Amino acid sequence: MSQTFEEAQAELEQIVERLERGDVGLEELTQLWERGEELYRRCAAQLTDAQGKIEELARRLDAQTED
Amino acid sequence: MEVEGRKVYSVRAFNLGVATYLQKLPTVWVEGEVTELRRQQRWATVYFTLKDPDSGACLSTQMPRGQFDALRLDLVEGERVHVYGRPELYEQRGDFHLRALTIERFGLGAHLAALERLKRKLAAEGLFAASRKRPLPRIPALIGLVTGNDAAAKRDVLTAITTRFPPAHVLVAETYVQGPRAAPAIATAIRDLCAHGVDVIVLARGGGSFEDLLPFSDERVVRAVATCGVPVISAVGHEQDMPLCDLAADVRASTPSVAGRLVVPDLGELRTWLDRAHEGLGRGARRVVERHRRRLAVAHERLARAPLLALERRTARLENAHARLRTLSPRATLERGYAIVRSGDELVRKPPAAGSPLQVEVAGGTFGARSE
Repeated sequence: MSQTFEEAQAELEQIVERLERGDVGLEELTQLWERGEELYRRCAAQLTDAQGKIEELARRLDAQTED
Repeated sequence: MEVEGRKVYSVRAFNLGVATYLQKLPTVWVEGEVTELRRQQRWATVYFTLKDPDSGACLSTQMPRGQFDALRLDLVEGERVHVYGRPELYEQRGDFHLRALTIERFGLGAHLAALERLKRKLAAEGLFAASRKRPLPRIPALIGLVTGNDAAAKRDVLTAITTRFPPAHVLVAETYVQGPRAAPAIATAIRDLCAHGVDVIVLARGGGSFEDLLPFSDERVVRAVATCGVPVISAVGHEQDMPLCDLAADVRASTPSVAGRLVVPDLGELRTWLDRAHEGLGRGARRVVERHRRRLAVAHERLARAPLLALERRTARLENAHARLRTLSPRATLERGYAIVRSGDELVRKPPAAGSPLQVEVAGGTFGARSE
């Protein structure tokens, strides 16, 4: 899991483009699709994680400013 | 010595006597024009003739070169000066001259001309160039202030600084700000503050007469400002005064109060800016996440459709291939009215022997026949 968010996103988009062009073998088709779904899940999780951190930080800073 | 009842002096004794007598005369100021100025690096003495412009009366004048150079007058021929000195006789030659102790430029015109010459010289060296001007630190950690002791200028600068930015640290160097000792004292104060690690220097002096402000046009002060390791704000005199240190400074302030306002940021404004930046930071971070989320959603939507799309394309290709295959099969040829004739298992390609039994295949089916 050394892949960064940006790398995962780029790979996902490449997979989508290849699938849309349709020049992949049948076995490869399902493999690529599964890989794409996995990349999507990973990216989405990272985004949710980042958003959570931002909101938490914002809450903590707001609390500090009000002191 | 007595010669034939006459009291006679040797030349040397006579000169010595006159010289001794002259030494008893008081030290006085003499005004005149400088002419025949002779100053050479290898001479220990500078010579010139003081001339009375009205009567043309002349007076030889001398001054030790080191003393003359220390005055930094940069005299030229024809300038009006006041020379403070006493009469003196060179005993060996019996030459009479004025021994100068100090020289002052006399008259506003002469001062202005000298200033103009210095200004041109320093400008030619590039000391006033715009490219030398440095920006002031945004929030100075330690401010150096060069000013007279107990001066209104000092109070004005400090008030302006603490009003705008209460946490400011100011290191004050009090010096002479007028008179002959001012110029070297100011130059030293600037260097001392630098050595103490200030990150900006304010040079402040309230208004004064032209002569009062002269130290701020002194070459030593101008050079100290220009070569100072940190930016210098010059606030000397009033708006209309333009001492040379103003030209060499990184920023010129019209008054000491203005200098105080320039050297520190307004703490209130700074807080507002910081708050705004803080809000912007949160907004920016959320916006980045949102943008990624949308991009990811688009990719995912396309990914979801992609396998079906790919399968449809594959099916279409298969159908196409199948259709093409069909056009190549012999059955299609039979449909057009052709027949396949077989004798036993062999395809008949040339006329068979008469009476041979044959099978004929047409599009509708197969029937037997016999050759004739």
